[in-house]
Amino acid sequence: MTYMSFIKGELLTLLRRKQDTVNALVFFLMVVTLFPLGVSPSPDFLSVAAGGIIWCAASLAILMSVESMFKEDFNDGCLEQWLVSGLSLPLLILLKTFIHWLVVIAPLLVMAPLLSEMLFLPSETFSVLLITLILGTPALFLIGTIGAALTVSLRHGAVLMLLIIIPFYLPVIIFSTGAIRAAQNSMMYDGQIAILAAISLVFLVVSPVMSAISIKASIN
Amino acid sequence: MSWTWFHKLGSPKWFFQFASRWALASFWSGVVLLLVGVIWGLGFAPEDYQQGNSFRIIYIHVPAAILAQSCYLGLGIAGFVFLVWQMKMAPVFIKSVAPLGALAAVIALLSGAIWGKPTWGTWWVWDARLTSVLVLFLLYMGVIAIQNSLEDKVLADKAVAVISVVGLINLPIIKYSVEWWNTLHQPATFKLTEAPAMPIEMWLPLLISSLGLYLFIAGLAMLRMKTEVLNRERRSGWVKDEVLKSGV
Amino acid sequence: MHSSVSLKVSNLWVERSERYLCKDMSFFLSSGDIAKINGENGAGKSSLLKILVGILRPLEGNIHYNNEDVSVYRDLLQKDLLYIGHDSGVKSVFTVAENLRWYFPDANDDEISLALDAVSLSGYEETPSNQLSAGQKRRISLARLWLTEKPLWVLDEPFTALDIKGVASLEKHMKEHVEKNGMIILTTHQDIDPSLNLKEINLSL
Repeated sequence: MTYMSFIKGELLTLLRRKQDTVNALVFFLMVVTLFPLGVSPSPDFLSVAAGGIIWCAASLAILMSVESMFKEDFNDGCLEQWLVSGLSLPLLILLKTFIHWLVVIAPLLVMAPLLSEMLFLPSETFSVLLITLILGTPALFLIGTIGAALTVSLRHGAVLMLLIIIPFYLPVIIFSTGAIRAAQNSMMYDGQIAILAAISLVFLVVSPVMSAISIKASIN
Repeated sequence: MSWTWFHKLGSPKWFFQFASRWALASFWSGVVLLLVGVIWGLGFAPEDYQQGNSFRIIYIHVPAAILAQSCYLGLGIAGFVFLVWQMKMAPVFIKSVAPLGALAAVIALLSGAIWGKPTWGTWWVWDARLTSVLVLFLLYMGVIAIQNSLEDKVLADKAVAVISVVGLINLPIIKYSVEWWNTLHQPATFKLTEAPAMPIEMWLPLLISSLGLYLFIAGLAMLRMKTEVLNRERRSGWVKDEVLKSGV
Repeated sequence: MHSSVSLKVSNLWVERSERYLCKDMSFFLSSGDIAKINGENGAGKSSLLKILVGILRPLEGNIHYNNEDVSVYRDLLQKDLLYIGHDSGVKSVFTVAENLRWYFPDANDDEISLALDAVSLSGYEETPSNQLSAGQKRRISLARLWLTEKPLWVLDEPFTALDIKGVASLEKHMKEHVEKNGMIILTTHQDIDPSLNLKEINLSL
């Protein structure tokens, strides 16, 4: 096994399992739909809440898609093969997370204009929404990876993983929606954007190491 | 600097003997200080000129909130120590202290709600401190949940250590983000702990009750850890000696 | 021909779920050896293999590979290692050939069909692995033995999914491997051709 063949394998798996990614995106759309139906369809409410709705839905969809990230590798013995391959386990985890991020975030960005139109997000803040999605979602994926690694050996680990991970998502959601709101009120928002990028960078360092520790402990 | 204390701390046997000597002392002195601080604070400290008598809840609320935070700090440090030095006592500490920290967070939340009713007119306001204690409580529940869900003991120890360390890294970010978020959404007129120049008659009882709660929880934690150590080390020789000595 | 290899295990203590699997175990293997781990069911043969390859950690003890200490980091050993564990390490979304390419990205079509021939899976190259039985998946992972250049093989129950012909062919392949200076450590319940000259390692307290 080489890093290259690992990357190819991951891409191939995601390609063959496109339904999983599609499910996450449909789930995203559904959660967004709940708010106008459940709270209020008035443009006044939605245009204020749009950033928050999109971010909460995106967080849940990302959790869904990350949760089972290592399950199959764990069950079919491929995780063991990663461990004995002589390749760096944190780096393999980072590569896998990055590939998953690319595959989920790309369609999410494509859906964003549609959703922001449906939620009456003021068009001048749309670019801020995109920037927060690009800079903030890496943190969500990286944090989620730790949770997926911790619960990989559990058959019904999904709820547990949500329980552990959601509190860690709060700062990302707060700063993203804060940036969008600031833009709506024509205030400066680069501070929030910088903090989002910083959080993603922190977890770029922390997550692969912690996930590797969790995965090693889970195999026995 | 000598590191023997550090290695001693990692030895279950040494800890057991240490805890046997100090747990009850810490527990009871904590109870006494807590009573003194709370009675003084509730009964004798002067009234707050703005909030009247209802401010007195801080003699319970503030110690509990601080304690909940320090316990989480402790979990994070213990997790780090375990991941780096594999010290046996670290997971015992995490397992025993996490529920106590969650309890402290619950006390802080309840007392905050009770304080909120006369002050804000509602049981709950999304005040910065209350919200961050709520998040802290959720973090504790995560640690407890994973401890109880993983049946493999070795894996459970590693997992709670990982989640505690990640939590410790994230805690300042969460705290800062909640405070920042709070300033964004019309802050409450009264902050739960806003008394910039407290006279000594007001903060001395607060200090005493905080100290009391710390000692009380430290005593409880040691008792819990003793039980956990006995359970984990049940196959080793010194546990047998202890059991024989106590004549059970 | 591989350059010669050696594996020295000294004073190994292994504990799994509050039970000792071995106490103070030592053995030495070198090029040309086929070692079989003996032990009752549940005695921890698979765990011992996992410890040797670095998936699990021993309680105590040292492992030297080619006279280098690999007790903490197995990198040097893993560079030379092919490990087939209890789980096949076969991805069900891949076809059979894709699975082998995952491990050996440089293998060409001829090499892959030769390897599949050897485990009687010829013609299955393009079949998705999820259409195969557990035994066939197991044979895909065994096919790796015909593609590898690694000198050290660690195999957990390699013979279970094979018929008599398959066992004979694998035994022959193992023999060729150790004649080329390779080394094999395995566990098995089956009787093996005595001409393989097994070294036995007993896992008992």
